[in-house]
Amino acid sequence: MKKYFLDIYRGMRSILKGMILTLIVAFRPKATIQYPFVKRELPTRTRGRLYCNIDDCIGCKLCAVACPVDCIYITANKRGPEEEIPLTSPESGAKQRKFHLPQFDIDFTLCCWCSLCTVVCPTDCLYMTKEYEFSVANQQDLIWQFGEGQKPGPKQKIEPPHLKSVK
Amino acid sequence: MSELKTQELTINMGPQHPSTHGVLRIELLTDGEVCMRAIPHIGYLHRCFEKHAENVDYMGVMPFVDRMDYVASMNNDIAYAMAVEKLLGVEVPKRAEFIRVVMAELNRIASHLLAIGTYGLDVGTFTPFMWAFRDREFILDIFEMASGARLLYNYLWIGGVWMDVTPGIEEKIKEFGDYFGPRIDELDTILSYNQIFINRTKNVGIIPLETAINYGLTGPNLRGSGKKWDLRKNEPYSIYPELEFDVPIGTGEMGAVGDCWDRYMVRVREMRESLKLVKQALKQMPAGPFRAKMQRVRPAPGEAYFKTENPRGELGFYIVSDGSIKPYRVKGKSPCFTSISCLDEICQGAMIADVVAIIGSLDIVLGEVDR
Repeated sequence: MKKYFLDIYRGMRSILKGMILTLIVAFRPKATIQYPFVKRELPTRTRGRLYCNIDDCIGCKLCAVACPVDCIYITANKRGPEEEIPLTSPESGAKQRKFHLPQFDIDFTLCCWCSLCTVVCPTDCLYMTKEYEFSVANQQDLIWQFGEGQKPGPKQKIEPPHLKSVK
Repeated sequence: MSELKTQELTINMGPQHPSTHGVLRIELLTDGEVCMRAIPHIGYLHRCFEKHAENVDYMGVMPFVDRMDYVASMNNDIAYAMAVEKLLGVEVPKRAEFIRVVMAELNRIASHLLAIGTYGLDVGTFTPFMWAFRDREFILDIFEMASGARLLYNYLWIGGVWMDVTPGIEEKIKEFGDYFGPRIDELDTILSYNQIFINRTKNVGIIPLETAINYGLTGPNLRGSGKKWDLRKNEPYSIYPELEFDVPIGTGEMGAVGDCWDRYMVRVREMRESLKLVKQALKQMPAGPFRAKMQRVRPAPGEAYFKTENPRGELGFYIVSDGSIKPYRVKGKSPCFTSISCLDEICQGAMIADVVAIIGSLDIVLGEVDR
């Protein structure tokens, strides 16, 4: 009987203590932010969406090899013997770009943001941006193109040339 | 009344039950309100970690290791990285070791905060959950500064760490050290020594020491049963022998030794010890390189096993190499898998509502159970 009332007393005391503490905490600065309206400032190393500056890419495919989920697709065609070999920008080491790169696609549905591809890149042309909001209505829009002559962004549908002639 | 034979009823708990901490299905054999058996069915989060590991190179396994115990990625990384380093025979620079320990101990705090917060949620209190997540956010911000990611870091690499810590992070960790000490006291007031919480968890789900050892429990679950066993002390690795800390064990001050409250309290006390470790390691951190100079990881044929103390217990990696750039076999010994194996034994005779409290106190992460 005594234990019963003691328990009630202790329970009430615990609740009172907790309530006082909650009241104190309620007057502290808020820990939350109103996300879509207010955005956090991200640190410099934030690993967001990958971006490839194709003008600096030498087509070595080290990133595609390092990727644990194989989400980078590169097509590299060797330049002809008469063709002039352009160089990458001086900041990235002025390396020879021996390949045409008609395809440099990254599938963001597979990407696991491990940053292993950006580390191995010899010219630092593949890097991670601070962009982190990439919900799309269509899954296809998550496959991005960075190839030469292409606008970086969701992969555009290419109509095969033989179909064009039929029309 | 006892001679009345009632019909046993089988109930499915999960896999979407919120208190099973993920996707665990438990087949409960009940007699009225009393649970006769609790058979865990696992495999809903099976992602073929071990098979995946055979198909990517040694460094590429790291992101998959992160995803095993996704609330303590840094601790997983340290285990895998040290296993590969043992295979390679690489010596890690001193600074990298210190960064690793700071990160691992911070992640231990974050993991225990999640365990404590959700345990409060399981037994019916909401405020500590929010407070725990608020403090955990502070740690995640530190990790984001260091690695750029908030949950799956891929920061501790084979041979050291990915990059040196960002300038300014030491001040931030120091700030956290000063900030977090009083917050544990607040957590104690609102949850640990709350009489309602104590009455709810004392003498529930008692794991006697003998049972704990028989089932191979490790980590806070074993220490809650009163055994002082911590790999950081008993089989020291990295720089732990140079640092001072205690190993808290379950004392049975509220009920029997090894009950839910003891296991919970071991985690709370471990957070204080981790905070001590972080402060010490930060103070002693030397300058120097942060990663060992090494070529592409290609160990000689052989095998290695390395185990570390995870927030949930003893995590080990057994790696077999055949001399190629890909591991021949990687086996992860997960502490949660052993924890869940004793669920049947300790749930026998408990109320159905207590099963929830028991699962919460075992602190399982299904990502690691199924791998």
